[in-house]
Amino acid sequence: MSRLRLLAGTDPSAGSESHADHSRRLGAPAIAGRPLIEALIRSGLAGRGGASFPVGYKWRSIAGAKGPAVVIVNGAEGEPQSRKDRLLMTARPHLILDGAFLAARTLRARQVVVYVGQAHQAAWNAMARALAERPEAERRIARMVGAPHRYVAGESSAAVHLVNEGIATPTTTPPHPRERGVGAVPTLVQNVETLAHIALIARYGDEWYRSAGRRGAAGTILITLAGGVAHPGVLEIEAGTTIGEAVAMAGGVTEPATALLVGGYFGAWIPVATGWELPLDAAALRSQGLNLGCGIVGVLPASRCGVCDTARIMRYLAQESSAQCGPCFFGLRALSDACSRVAERGTNRDDMARLKRWSVEVQGRGACKHPDGAVILLRSALSTFADGFASHPAHWRQQPA
Amino acid sequence: MLGVLSTMRVQSAGWPRFLTAGLHRNLALLTLIFLALHIVTSVVDPFTHLGWLTSVVPFSSYYRTLWLGLGTIAFELLIAIVVTSLLRGLIGQVAWRAIHWFAYASWPIAIAHGFGSGTDVLSAWFIVLAILCIGGVAVAVVFRLLQPPVDPLATARGEFRSDVSSRQSP
Repeated sequence: MSRLRLLAGTDPSAGSESHADHSRRLGAPAIAGRPLIEALIRSGLAGRGGASFPVGYKWRSIAGAKGPAVVIVNGAEGEPQSRKDRLLMTARPHLILDGAFLAARTLRARQVVVYVGQAHQAAWNAMARALAERPEAERRIARMVGAPHRYVAGESSAAVHLVNEGIATPTTTPPHPRERGVGAVPTLVQNVETLAHIALIARYGDEWYRSAGRRGAAGTILITLAGGVAHPGVLEIEAGTTIGEAVAMAGGVTEPATALLVGGYFGAWIPVATGWELPLDAAALRSQGLNLGCGIVGVLPASRCGVCDTARIMRYLAQESSAQCGPCFFGLRALSDACSRVAERGTNRDDMARLKRWSVEVQGRGACKHPDGAVILLRSALSTFADGFASHPAHWRQQPA
Repeated sequence: MLGVLSTMRVQSAGWPRFLTAGLHRNLALLTLIFLALHIVTSVVDPFTHLGWLTSVVPFSSYYRTLWLGLGTIAFELLIAIVVTSLLRGLIGQVAWRAIHWFAYASWPIAIAHGFGSGTDVLSAWFIVLAILCIGGVAVAVVFRLLQPPVDPLATARGEFRSDVSSRQSP
């Protein structure tokens, strides 16, 4: 029922497609330069790293700047539940590299940095092998850089910071990397899935891109299904497919579900009753106050406790603060501690009051969006699991992570 | 003094913020009010015929040209500090901080102005007050130079950075 695009061709689990197979299957890209930027704008393609930034406008702003540019291929994939970037890098490395070198040509970039998570061994090897198969002119300007295995390392300013100074922590924006990035020149930081879509749009055009998609949405999306589904993992779906349909494609739920985590650890919890009919599309979710993020849907089965899972996520996010801003470092730790106390020892009035107050106060007080993402997730948990938080028994240890 | 010591972040969980950050700001603003009184009464006083221009243009008075000029300069440095503090959100932290260093120039210039143009310089109360002020600031500066400012996040940040700063491939 799904129309595969990125994952069309041989079975993705069969390993990476070679440059020869890739070229034979798809041919060469038809357009680059200004026509490609215009096609990207018309396509409505939005970034798939998490921020859903409109790709065409990002390219146009970099193309409009004077002088050279830099392209960073973002395959850091620091989001713990996400698998789609790794799968794509392992299975279709040349689709990603096509997009990267199209960007380099279009934006006059003399440097392409392939930024891959150090922990993603198979993806790293596939990208390195694929790069070695590219023509000399492309290989000369490209290099691979390892992304540290930390949550914030995939944030675009952190990627730029690592390439510039060897430290993968986010820096204050503005200036955005697209204005002032690697070596202070405009830098395109683009997620690997986004680049793969670009490689196809450069071949078949924006109308073809928009021909997939349901309920008014355009294109296809790689999503990662996690938690209580029969076959967790990566699916390519048409944008606008509902969460319920996507879960059915993954073999359905393993037991009745109570809640959904949409968008990963930077997303939000929603009750399963309202979530099942939600279309998976960045614009549609935004109109509901939600976030597609990097395309993760976590399914919480009835046997698991949402309060305890939220406490675990908050602890993780607090540990992943890069300790640059006080409100993030101390604030997330305090929130995580309060959340853990509720999970471990049961509901108490003081901690509930703290959670409600601090989850509002921390927002907007970091140099990057890390604290904001964490408290948005927490607030969604406080409303989705309102009953759970109001009368939580002391049962943390009964549940494995 | 409080300004010099503010970067030491001497605080405790029990102290309210108006003691740690607010006191410095509020005392500084109070000083500004007394300074305004000082300037207005000096200008209005017909004895010296200072005129308003003197309060803005340094070294423009016939009366004790050098010493009054120093007072004007100290005042204008202070005004720069106040204006940039009010516009801090607009001009950014770096520029604000650079201008705030003017305080280190403004204060000794104002002290020199006091000694040079004051008419009570040799009276006991003036000398006692001056010694207290200069002594207090001197002690604060020495204390601060001996003990560099503490960054409460230094350890945590260092640990995180050493974790995210490898450039090697896996």
